[in-house]
Amino acid sequence: MRPLAVTGLGVASPLGLGWDAFRAALAAPPGAAFTTSPTSFSAPAHPALRVAEIANFDPRPVVGDKGLRNNDRLTRLLLVAARFGLEHAGIKRDGAFANFGPTDVGVCGSTAYGSLEAIHELDAVARLEDPRYLNPARFPNTVINSSVGYVSIWEELRALNATVTNGPTGGLDAFDAASLWLDAGRAKAVLTGGAEAMSEGLWHAFRRLGALDESPEVWAPGDPRSRGLRLGEGACLVALEDLAAARARGATVHAEVVGYGAAFEPAGDGQPMVHVSATALVRAVNAALAGLDRARVSMVVSGLAGLPALDGPERAALAESLGGVEVRTPKAWMGETLGAAGAFGVAAAAGWLADGRAGDCAVVTSVGFYGNASALVVRRPE
Amino acid sequence: MGVVSSIGLGRAAFWASLVEGRSGTSTITSFDTARLGRGLAAQVRGFVAADHLTAVEVTRAGRCAAFALAAARMAVRDAGLADAALRTERASVVLGTTMGEADICAALDARWIHDGADAMSPRVIPKYAPYLLSMETAQALGCRGTVLTLPAACAAGNYAIGYASDLIRAGRADVVITGAAEMLQELQFAGFVRLGAVATDRCQPFDLDRQGLIIGEGAGVMVLESEEHAVRRGATALAEVGGYGLACDGFHITRPEPSGAGVVHALREAIRRSGLTADGVDFINAHGTGTKANDSVESTAVRQVFGERRVPLTSIKSLIGHCMGAASAIEAVSCVETIGTGVYPPTTGYVTPDPECDVAVVANVAGRGRADVVVNHSLAFGGYDAVLLFAKPDHLPPPDARGVLA
Repeated sequence: MRPLAVTGLGVASPLGLGWDAFRAALAAPPGAAFTTSPTSFSAPAHPALRVAEIANFDPRPVVGDKGLRNNDRLTRLLLVAARFGLEHAGIKRDGAFANFGPTDVGVCGSTAYGSLEAIHELDAVARLEDPRYLNPARFPNTVINSSVGYVSIWEELRALNATVTNGPTGGLDAFDAASLWLDAGRAKAVLTGGAEAMSEGLWHAFRRLGALDESPEVWAPGDPRSRGLRLGEGACLVALEDLAAARARGATVHAEVVGYGAAFEPAGDGQPMVHVSATALVRAVNAALAGLDRARVSMVVSGLAGLPALDGPERAALAESLGGVEVRTPKAWMGETLGAAGAFGVAAAAGWLADGRAGDCAVVTSVGFYGNASALVVRRPE
Repeated sequence: MGVVSSIGLGRAAFWASLVEGRSGTSTITSFDTARLGRGLAAQVRGFVAADHLTAVEVTRAGRCAAFALAAARMAVRDAGLADAALRTERASVVLGTTMGEADICAALDARWIHDGADAMSPRVIPKYAPYLLSMETAQALGCRGTVLTLPAACAAGNYAIGYASDLIRAGRADVVITGAAEMLQELQFAGFVRLGAVATDRCQPFDLDRQGLIIGEGAGVMVLESEEHAVRRGATALAEVGGYGLACDGFHITRPEPSGAGVVHALREAIRRSGLTADGVDFINAHGTGTKANDSVESTAVRQVFGERRVPLTSIKSLIGHCMGAASAIEAVSCVETIGTGVYPPTTGYVTPDPECDVAVVANVAGRGRADVVVNHSLAFGGYDAVLLFAKPDHLPPPDARGVLA
């Protein structure tokens, strides 16, 4: 992988809107962002009701109030992250291009289940009322790539627009796609990352699977006593550019992305397809570190989420491939953000590496629900 | 290559129907359309999942993943690829879709709406994800490299095949199973009707009186290999994937930008990245949905890129409908067949030329001509423009002589 520069970080998260709030929250102990009475959906009190949401999320102070009416929560999260990311990178200033032009900048975002809220909303109209009452202006929200598509419309980014969907690893896989497209000269900068929106359907689905934490007294991602995960939400889009080109234009480089690996391991005969593969993660980490100095890895930014079925294999893989390296776990602060998780991992790595006390090289890891795994190497800028 | 389509299963049956101009349109039977005023779609009929999938896979997969997996197995067999060649870290799966397992999602949602959230079965929930078609395919074939889904709406096939070619050119994979799949589903059908995009009786791309699209479904999957891998195993290449071009209109979520600038950019990029000029293109597989807006914008873009030269152009959506995420993948199969045979499949229903669509439509019956280089257009929700170029093997200048990064 040709080294890439993170020149701006756009964050809409339960830890705060904006990069400074996010980074400050990660410097404090985890836990504050979780609530048992969310504002994003209504559900009766339940032992598994404990999520990290952006309470009373309002995109208008960031992106204005025109034209948002038919956008869903996922899109609104992405629009906020995009605006922050573009401004932070100096690509835009006060909403106008300050560096590059519309055809130079692309978008590549991941979401795992991003269209569920819209599908449910429209299904309810079709089933309980009449399909003739479906609002055509809201129908596009049911299409998975529409939220990332809206970012290009909103911000006039015409180079390319792409969505990847791969479950929790997608937020790392988006960096690989962006890097291939940057390498090929298809864009000079790509807003890269992912998003997932809190919704009633998502919470019910994980609750029905028995995957949610109901034992807060022992909850800690990566701790073997922890019994479940907690859902989070948010959007994270970082401005990614060729490292040499970013330096040449005098951009502030907040982090370097220098390695990526992905692997898949099929379930064994007679085993359920839902499985987490330590083997795949070891291979992904090895591929990500190929050609790099392993001894310089000072931190793992893990995807550990608190559910033993997920965390067990990830911990085993980390012990095998990066044993002895300090492991930090963003999901302790913000829960499982699925399609956004990888991107938040990159942002967390950039934040933790910034002051030098965590060394200068992090491996961000993620395991999928069906045997896939991905890893990304993030370095403190020289 | 493997195909699941309304006009045939397998590339031979699919291609024979296309050349004949046989339509796959029929009355929708899988759900009630009475209230919508539109009732036709190009449905895949006679598809028996068990003919292509194991018993376990049949139980697990929704219709979309079943299409993908069936087409993937056909493609592997067509390529004469040994199973062992896929069970490696050098084999990847990159597929596109719009909705993925839409039937599973709808069934879960229906239980929730009518019977409450507790009626959603934990046995069924893991069967839904928009990315499961790729997981099912990798699981079945034993691929151990990158497994990824690109939900690029109606351009998903071109995105997936383009990305697969990137993986190979970057040295990251020797073989990639790539393409796209989509299934017809009630909510999505109703949504397209509510957008005013669906025709009442037939799809007539580029015709003056065109009234919209007919929704289709299916899958197109191809085995993409590095040249070295193909030569080493003594395989015959059907075509080379040349360059591809991407652009985003940044204009409207469903409507194409009227000037066609994004399509022009994507088309020019596909040609340039193949080391060619516009003169080198022999045939266009158009996106040609049969909607007013798409066909006129696409025609404008074609005229801008090719000038006065009238490059033969077809939209097979007149026959197989608009298969959404699968469209450009199934159409990619058609492009490769055109390269192999020199036959241009017809655009049916073409009666009255539209002055706003001043392009050389292969009208109603198949044509024949040079087919060394074929471009595959796709436009999509989100303002996506994606064009992929296919060429006869050994026709394009070698990659390092193209003067661009492929």
